[in-house]
Amino acid sequence: MPTPSASSDPILDRLASSDCAVKFKAIREVKNHIIGNRTKKHSYIKLGAVPAVAAALADSDPNLIVQSAAALGSFACGVDDGVRAVLDAGAFPRLIGLLSAHDEKVVDAAARSLRMIYQSTLAPKYDFFQEETMQFLLSLLESENENLTGLGAGIVIHSCKTIGEQTILCHAGVLEKLTSLLDSSLSQRDASLESLAAIIRDNPAAVSEFVELHGGRALHSVAELTKDRYPRTRLLACLCLISVKNSSTCYLQDIGIKTKLVYILLELLDDSGQVGDEASFAFSSLIAEKEDLQKLAFEANAINKFNCLLQKHPVQPKRLEGVFLALADLCSKLECCRSSFLSLQVLNLVVDALTHEDASVRTAACICLRSVSRSIKNLSAGRFMNERVVCPLVQLLSDLSTSVQVAALGAISNIVVDFMPHKSTFIECGGIKELVQLTKSMDSSLRLNAVWALRNMVFLADKICKEGIFVELTASSMASLICDPEPSVQEQALALVRNFVDGCVYSVEHAFAEDGIILDAVGRQLKKSTKIEIGIQGMYVLSNIASGNEFHKEAVMQLLFPQDENVSHSFFEQFLQSHDSRLRTAAVWVVVNLTFPANPGAFGRIVNLRSFGIVSRIKKMVNDSCMDVKLRARLALGQILTFGDS
Amino acid sequence: MPVRVLENTAAPSSQVSGANSGRSSCQSCSLLGVGQAFSGTQNVSSVQKDEAWRVNVRIQGCDLEHGYLCGTMEALNVPMADTPVVTFWEGEIVDTKNYTFFTGKWEASPEDDIRHWSKFPSFSPLLGQVEADGGKSLDLSNYPYIFMRWKEQYFVNVGTDCGLTIAGFYYICFSCSDGSISGFYYDPNSSPYQKLELKSTNDGRSGFSFSSYQLQ
Repeated sequence: MPTPSASSDPILDRLASSDCAVKFKAIREVKNHIIGNRTKKHSYIKLGAVPAVAAALADSDPNLIVQSAAALGSFACGVDDGVRAVLDAGAFPRLIGLLSAHDEKVVDAAARSLRMIYQSTLAPKYDFFQEETMQFLLSLLESENENLTGLGAGIVIHSCKTIGEQTILCHAGVLEKLTSLLDSSLSQRDASLESLAAIIRDNPAAVSEFVELHGGRALHSVAELTKDRYPRTRLLACLCLISVKNSSTCYLQDIGIKTKLVYILLELLDDSGQVGDEASFAFSSLIAEKEDLQKLAFEANAINKFNCLLQKHPVQPKRLEGVFLALADLCSKLECCRSSFLSLQVLNLVVDALTHEDASVRTAACICLRSVSRSIKNLSAGRFMNERVVCPLVQLLSDLSTSVQVAALGAISNIVVDFMPHKSTFIECGGIKELVQLTKSMDSSLRLNAVWALRNMVFLADKICKEGIFVELTASSMASLICDPEPSVQEQALALVRNFVDGCVYSVEHAFAEDGIILDAVGRQLKKSTKIEIGIQGMYVLSNIASGNEFHKEAVMQLLFPQDENVSHSFFEQFLQSHDSRLRTAAVWVVVNLTFPANPGAFGRIVNLRSFGIVSRIKKMVNDSCMDVKLRARLALGQILTFGDS
Repeated sequence: MPVRVLENTAAPSSQVSGANSGRSSCQSCSLLGVGQAFSGTQNVSSVQKDEAWRVNVRIQGCDLEHGYLCGTMEALNVPMADTPVVTFWEGEIVDTKNYTFFTGKWEASPEDDIRHWSKFPSFSPLLGQVEADGGKSLDLSNYPYIFMRWKEQYFVNVGTDCGLTIAGFYYICFSCSDGSISGFYYDPNSSPYQKLELKSTNDGRSGFSFSSYQLQ
């Protein structure tokens, strides 16, 4: 039988009816069906109802327009496909136009609908730099109509992202207008708080302007709202204060306000709705990178609070992600937080989350694990190097999400530092092959983190472990990584080689595999790189090689002072004179090892070093401003002088 | 390293971070970095007999900003133990910012502190200032010795019923010049002045070598 065409669907017929009463009822019916019902919403979108509803915006009947706008707002509420459909139907500019209508009901309906649209990232970006559009925004914020001011705030929340945008909004006096809304209705208050946070976030100049408004009364108003009876208002007020606090070192730095913010946010975590979900993210922004606040949070028993939240089942993905990220920040610096975390057995819950179906949760669990595993005490105790932790992490190395892979690599980078020589658990879980695979990734963040993990794994590794990694990785791959386009990858690759050639004398042979391709790469990199860290790691590579046998020492001499080059441009001379004492120290260690006594070739090398001006340079360094450099230079000079000073 | 006693008394272990506003901080010394190994002896002499245990130490963590150091200590020929006994220890670096020469815990009085520190010849030039103000005004950043307290935290490879105690702590003096370590064990319930003497080891190398890791 023939398939019914779209035009034969009854609801679409009624939506397109020329009879206003029929059309009105049809639109209202659609609106009533889709409110709070995502499934119905998607059904009507597929049916093509949105363009038909949007067409009614052009009608002359205000009641019809109001119903149409309300339905469009419902379509756009919380559903990106709905927003897309509304925009595709050309409704957006019509709704903007309706804001100037004479009929108050029409204006209200259009404003509410637009507010819904602006809650989506798909809404068109508002151009604050156009005088005309800025004036329009200001007129919205100045309006007596709550829906219009709410729309104005919503536009700011949606589109104010850059410092330039923040600055021009400040210049236009938007901060002052938003502040005046703090005394208004609940929804206006919340919209004002949220838009204020958008303008001042990470912007010290905007923060200063805001703090000075009305002689500080604006800031005081926000602070008072942290005691509001509505959880969402309290959360938004906290976010504003956190932005002020994070953007400057002179506002809101007293311990009283810090403690208060910690306790308010911990309490808001109990909210079972969206506020509770977002409170943990606010908590993270409050304590991230701030040891003193992490201490306050620890003393407020935050670890136990998060642990209790995790014990409730089920925890939906957004909340789970937020809690793990908050725990990650909490445990990022303080050992007492990590101890509390581990003694409360939170680790088991994090490990379980490594296999969560939501990629954001998996990523957050890895980030949390990375923070906790910064505890050397617990790394040394083998707390993390076991199958229960390692196997799921290794599985994540082939996750479909790059964010998950990078986060897993970060956790693995720490966990492999267990101070045991064999790393057998990691090897048995198939981790080495996965890491080596990722060192060849097109994504530089994956390459960097994979090399970083290998570098840490090879630290104090035994011969068997090193051999296993070396065979899998190959000398030519290591040479490629040393010459990687990313300097950070170069640095970690050199540190990896440094660890490979440490240990027993046999380990030095790794640098000479495949005709010395690794050593060649090291030499090329040292000649051309200007990055201090690369110089440091490179010098320690050469220093470690120079602590090997006679052949190894001569190879280093050849690399430092090639026959065919003008030595006055030697990178080694520059390193010995570097402004960075770490590089000077590393360079002197090379000399110490080249001139180590009880080696048959030491005398010959000293003669050469003298002819290249290195000995006279060392003599100057015995009075270096850095103690470590000074002591190493004296050690080197002492060795040199045992062979006489000509 | 663990010390043999008949009773096992656990001393309270707390981590106090003094907030002195001293200007000095410990300059780094490459011989005291992570991965560095030391070996030597601890003399456990008593009135009955002289006894020395072979000891190996490995540095595992170093955070100069917070005056923190940690590692393992392995004792090789411990009586009553079938295998080497390994303990994990944490160290406080006397930098007059995070920690001073005065211990203030672990049953060590200021007199105990002065008595033990004074056993290190390199402490002599500092004695007057330490007695005057606890050493707060000292600038140790260019002094070629690093003073530390090492406190063992747990047994790595044996149970707590092994008949040994880790109740005390070590006063440590590290020479930045040659990487040698001198130390004295302090525990009110143990033999006094058990001496620890360690030298930097190079794993059979013809020179010095250095590994490194970097936590994320």
